[in-house]
Amino acid sequence: MILLANIKKELLLLSRDRAGLLILFVMPMLLVLVLSLIQDNLFRATGETATRALFVNLDQGDLGTELKTQLNATGALELVEQFSGRTIEPEQARQTVFAGDYQFAIIVPADFSARLNSAADETVRAALDQKNLERAPEPLILYFDPTVRGVYRTAVTNALYRGLLGLEIARKGEALSRLLPEKVQESVEREMAAYGGGIALDLPELSSGWARQSLLELREESAYPEKYSTLPTSVQQNVPAWTLFGMFFIVIPLAGTLIRERQEGTLTRLMTMPVSNSSLLLGKVIAYLSICLVQFGLMLAVGRFILPRFGTPVLELGSAPVALIVVALVAALAACGYGILVGTLARSYEQASTFGAVSIVIAAALGGVMVPVYVMPKVMQGLSVVSPLGWGLDAFLDIFVRNGNLASVFHRVAALGGFFLACIIVASVVFRHRRRGT
Amino acid sequence: MVVTQAATEKILSTRDLVKVYAGSDRPAVDGLNLEIDRGSIFGLLGPNGAGKTTTISILCTLLQPTSGQAIVLGQDVRNQADAIRRRIGVVPQDIALYPSLTARENLRYFARILRIPRDRIEQRIDECLELVGLRDFSHKRVADFSGGMKRRTNLAVGILHEPELLFLDEPTVGIDAQSRNLILDRLGELNRAGMSMLYTSHYMEEVRQLCHDVVIIDHGRAIAAGTPDELVAGSAEAENLEELFLELTGRELRD
Repeated sequence: MILLANIKKELLLLSRDRAGLLILFVMPMLLVLVLSLIQDNLFRATGETATRALFVNLDQGDLGTELKTQLNATGALELVEQFSGRTIEPEQARQTVFAGDYQFAIIVPADFSARLNSAADETVRAALDQKNLERAPEPLILYFDPTVRGVYRTAVTNALYRGLLGLEIARKGEALSRLLPEKVQESVEREMAAYGGGIALDLPELSSGWARQSLLELREESAYPEKYSTLPTSVQQNVPAWTLFGMFFIVIPLAGTLIRERQEGTLTRLMTMPVSNSSLLLGKVIAYLSICLVQFGLMLAVGRFILPRFGTPVLELGSAPVALIVVALVAALAACGYGILVGTLARSYEQASTFGAVSIVIAAALGGVMVPVYVMPKVMQGLSVVSPLGWGLDAFLDIFVRNGNLASVFHRVAALGGFFLACIIVASVVFRHRRRGT
Repeated sequence: MVVTQAATEKILSTRDLVKVYAGSDRPAVDGLNLEIDRGSIFGLLGPNGAGKTTTISILCTLLQPTSGQAIVLGQDVRNQADAIRRRIGVVPQDIALYPSLTARENLRYFARILRIPRDRIEQRIDECLELVGLRDFSHKRVADFSGGMKRRTNLAVGILHEPELLFLDEPTVGIDAQSRNLILDRLGELNRAGMSMLYTSHYMEEVRQLCHDVVIIDHGRAIAAGTPDELVAGSAEAENLEELFLELTGRELRD
């Protein structure tokens, strides 16, 4: 069968091309491994797990230590107080952050307790006297690395504000507990002075813990708790994203083989033989499709078995294996179709490899592979709907995270299949046009 | 001008064949009429840009003519291309092989495309490699071959399915004398075994040695036709085919 001969020839040619094999298998696996780990770290840095920060406590009272306890309780920060068993000096902390070794340093001043207690007392007194207190807030210095992204910085400052707010409320509560009975006693004595005074009241004291007690709780729940309990992990976002990216890079060797056949004259020779264009094309598509699916399997294996060894969560694949295979198949078809189109349109390997690579990076960026679509500007969000990588990623995430099935990903599957057909039709028209020399 | 041979079976004929490429203001082939006898070796000569490659491309079904008729092995190139492709062989000017495959792997692939029965493929590959003197190098990659070995493998692919008509587009260009001699010898043998050939070359001595009939074309039109000896004899000044060629096509460079 001629189709089998074409498939076998393509696989044989690939097996002789070590650089091509490296691009097809090793590079995407490395890509998934490295980028998933890097992105995983970013996920962690932006709130999923604790961020390490220097904590220099110069406070001579006990509020510095209490702040540390509050910050640790938020779970967002892991505080480092010593280098090699030695206390960190403020200037040393600043230099360390400046050098980029740590991204944050919190400096608690020596009079932190005294000033906070005094400020709490003054604030409560003013409130009890019904006076407006114009008082500048006490400063707490946070050094940060200027290269740190905004979202990362926000996560840390939010944690710090939560810690400070807790401390502040506790101090104000404590001041109120102490000053309120005094103020009531004073008022009673003043009012009773006309009657001779000397009345001692036994006013009840407020307990000190009331200010710390939470009245509201934020409970996070999955939007699909009854159906699917797994929340999206960094691995679930990154593995399919970078797998699609790697799969689409099949465009370069596939386009390369078309261009080489044209340049070396083998295509011309084949055109004088009793073999149809569709058989030649189908042979290439099937050979490279099988390569893509092997790539896909290997990259899922990286997510499931290798990445967890580096501390990431295990890749959960959802509960619709048939839908997963169908999405992988049409995504691979879309990649192959695009490779055929690029190989047909490009006049040289250099053109194909440059245009192919750049266009895939653009499609990946638009499709949310690198940055989630929801954080893009409105214009880019509008453009993202044209990215086949975005369609594939959306379908994978639907299966992995939202308990998707074949029906729920159908429109994405249809879009990818349509993209493949459109690429093949355009490539065929261009090829026939050129071949006829008209 | 109609190039007419004796009243034997015609394996190929063209009538008023014209090819104009899109965007070009003059035809690459301009009313060409050819007739080739079965069993003959027919030389198609011309300077660069004369229309040789376009003519061969139309005859071996790579290009559609703009107008006129081309009949190959009794079939019209316009609408019976597949039937023609099964019966013709092509040895292109390019080394149209997969460099990373061995000679045997190349031949095996093309044999399957040419629909040679599976049980005959290996035997036929051996015969063809033997014919071109490469039997001992069949497991070597084409990329590692010398220029002459590549040309001989190129020929082997062209004759794998024992075509009735073989198109040879400068099959000896740029190779050593020994390889050229072997190729010419083998082409002679194949022709004696009944294979017809349409041959282009810039080596006039090669054409004189090999071809029964010759047509010289320029600007897409036939300007002389006959046997090599007849053509030289018909010229008052030319003493050989090369001189006649230059006399007819001029001495200015054609790039």
